[in-house]
Amino acid sequence: MISRVAEHCFWLARYLERAENTARVLEVNHTLLLDFHVPVEQQWRPLLIISGVHDYEGEPAAETVQEFMTWDRDNPFSIASSLSWARENARIIREVISGEMWERMNFYHLWMQGGDSRAVYDSHRGEFYAQVRRINQLLHGIADATMSHGEAWEFFKLGTYLERASQTARIMDVKYHTLLPKVEDVGSPVDNAHWIAILMSCSGYEPFHKKPRQLPHDPASAVAEFLIFDEQFPRSIRRCLWECESATASAAGNPVVRGPSEPERLVTELIAFLDARKMPDVIREGLHETLTHVVDSVHQIGEAVHATFFAADIGTPAVQVPPEVPSPVASGMSQSQSQS
Amino acid sequence: MPALGTAARHAPSLNGTPTVKPRLFDGYAAHPAAWDELFDRTSVPHAHCHALVERLGQFHLPEFQTKRASADLAFVNQGITFSVYSDRRGVEKIFPFDLIPRTIPAGEWATLETGLVQRVKALNLFLHDVYHDQRILREGVVPADLVLGSKGFRKEMIGFTPPGGVYVHICGTDLIRDADGQLLVLEDNGRTPSGVSYVLENRAVMKKVFPHLFADIRVKRVEDYPHRLREALASVAPEGAGTPPCVVVLSPGQYNSAYFEHSFLARHMGVELVFGQDLFVHGDVVYLKTTRGPQRVDVIYRRLDDDFLDPEAFRRDSLLGVPGLFRAYRAGNVTLANAVGTGVADDKAVYPYTEDMVRFYLSEEPILKNVPTYICARPDDAAHAIDHLEELVVKAVNESGGYGMLMGPSSTAAQRAEFAEKIRDNPRNYIAQPVVTLSTCPTWTDEGVAPRHVDLRPYIITGRSTWVLPGGLTRTALTKGSLVVNSSQGGGSKDTWVLENGKH
Repeated sequence: MISRVAEHCFWLARYLERAENTARVLEVNHTLLLDFHVPVEQQWRPLLIISGVHDYEGEPAAETVQEFMTWDRDNPFSIASSLSWARENARIIREVISGEMWERMNFYHLWMQGGDSRAVYDSHRGEFYAQVRRINQLLHGIADATMSHGEAWEFFKLGTYLERASQTARIMDVKYHTLLPKVEDVGSPVDNAHWIAILMSCSGYEPFHKKPRQLPHDPASAVAEFLIFDEQFPRSIRRCLWECESATASAAGNPVVRGPSEPERLVTELIAFLDARKMPDVIREGLHETLTHVVDSVHQIGEAVHATFFAADIGTPAVQVPPEVPSPVASGMSQSQSQS
Repeated sequence: MPALGTAARHAPSLNGTPTVKPRLFDGYAAHPAAWDELFDRTSVPHAHCHALVERLGQFHLPEFQTKRASADLAFVNQGITFSVYSDRRGVEKIFPFDLIPRTIPAGEWATLETGLVQRVKALNLFLHDVYHDQRILREGVVPADLVLGSKGFRKEMIGFTPPGGVYVHICGTDLIRDADGQLLVLEDNGRTPSGVSYVLENRAVMKKVFPHLFADIRVKRVEDYPHRLREALASVAPEGAGTPPCVVVLSPGQYNSAYFEHSFLARHMGVELVFGQDLFVHGDVVYLKTTRGPQRVDVIYRRLDDDFLDPEAFRRDSLLGVPGLFRAYRAGNVTLANAVGTGVADDKAVYPYTEDMVRFYLSEEPILKNVPTYICARPDDAAHAIDHLEELVVKAVNESGGYGMLMGPSSTAAQRAEFAEKIRDNPRNYIAQPVVTLSTCPTWTDEGVAPRHVDLRPYIITGRSTWVLPGGLTRTALTKGSLVVNSSQGGGSKDTWVLENGKH
């Protein structure tokens, strides 16, 4: 398929996934704070940090941060920005995605632009976030059922799982930024509540509890272990990377002929990094450090995907490439993709 | 035995006075001077429109309003919109669509179809001649300086024959109907005519909103267009092309106002939609950059003007084109549709000679007539035009979309003075035509159904053979009395019904 089209497919999926995850984090934090009293400074600022926002100058208060992360079009990581970019990518490749996907994507774009979404946001905050989550879920359902499972589909999957792997790592890392580890807080109600919140923001609450395991003496590390290493949970980092591995392999064509591509090699390497560790190793080396390694590696994989599949000079050694027109794939996360 | 609803319909209302609910065409007053596409001067429907007027006329106004709202919503939800990018939130507007169709009787269509095929055949022969022997210029049928000095003339095309000998693969010919009911050709768009996606989308929406109308009235299908276009393009692939040939649609990009159409055509033809950056030329062969390496391209349906096609051959600052594309074209390794240099036949100052071209190349009488035209390049014509500006429409020859135009009867003295000056400065750049009172069609307006002026753009596809899309795009002015139907000037569109013989 055309490299540029593959790129739009990949970013359509990433922006959709990003909007969903942002909604998850905002929703869970919103709910959590109804039950626990956390110092103001620790309530909302961590959300900005994990989203890659470092230059926020507003009040770190509930309404201002939610407004900024939901509606602010100047914030490239807001839900409104992510969905708008997702729709723009979809518009450019609407001849590639199915008609039904396009119609739904467009429908929700119009919903976000119109007054209805704002009304739900103002009156039923939780329902609003749930609706944003459903946008991605619905589009994935439609894509799965109506789009040919060819190359475009593999890039759509790759975008989804690569973004999700990074988001799961970021969501877990919020702990690091929220509470400076104090011995007396470990195992305290606040600490446990935070881990439960993280689980819930990944929809992992029930799968986690259904998992047969010995009664954990340390619930925190059990949750972290589940979200990093679980082999079946579709939002665990390991599971996401496995999906990325199969998508990169399929996207690159027959590996017997070509050998593994650079992105595939990097994904395998990151999987091997996790395989070489168990939870006690992670704790010894530092959870934050491990998660940072994951986020950085995902960023690297993204760059390799770009260079291998999308770069404008594929197969054109002799041709000067003109400067590109502004592209809607441009707005990545600060630590994530940088696009030409 | 009467149907169950009949008795109730005729029952008097309880208080004895029947409730009056106006129906769609109640009180419709046809335009005093213009030909009406549905009604005659005494407000009786034309014979071929009886069935349509009867069925559609059963709707009460509120029902019709509901239908309108659902049609508009269908366009919005499918994102069939124009973008206004001045606003960062990306305000998008739909191309206004009117639900009352415009009809063409079967017999008239048959004549029109033959006339269009004849005309496009002559235009293709003219282009081949202009870039080879120039017989028509040497014999003085068309003035040589007019042709050779045209902005659309590409000297780079001299001596080159495109694959299959076809220049204008897709032609959009604008027709208007005068007060006597005669259809006249206003212009031939032989470069990159747009709008066909609206023909297909309008029909799809009409079928959704009024399914029963189509069950009762036989209307010629338009849905074959993408398939026909693809066949035609593949039929003129260059020698050495793949089987099947690789056909692509080349768009200037997602910010182009016709991007929806480019994407629509690619989707419905089942071919790739590409931007200039997706293609490259190596060894005079055009390739597509894919995730699995280069893939050879045989036919390019380009929606990009000649100027922007190739920075090596034409405008150097073009970022939209493909360096080396023209070289590959001249080497015979790729087909461009339409061919480079068709603008010379699209020039408004060359247009007045189209009837002569038909006589010259085909030795036939032209079936379709032009609107009488004063060519300001001729001193007598220019003088006449300047003296009669108030009665004429003046057009710049290389403009389209209703720009660079003077509407004499509605102009101010200052505007007329300005145009007189422009004509004196650069006569070659202007033509003038008498104001034709365009035909009208009943159209929904804020004051109910009223006559609004319309034109018609049929689409003619030429590959190894020529095919005409039944009907075409009916554009409609939405302002009372306006004769300007261009979408860029606030016009709308209608579904165009070519009726099947004997079944209405």
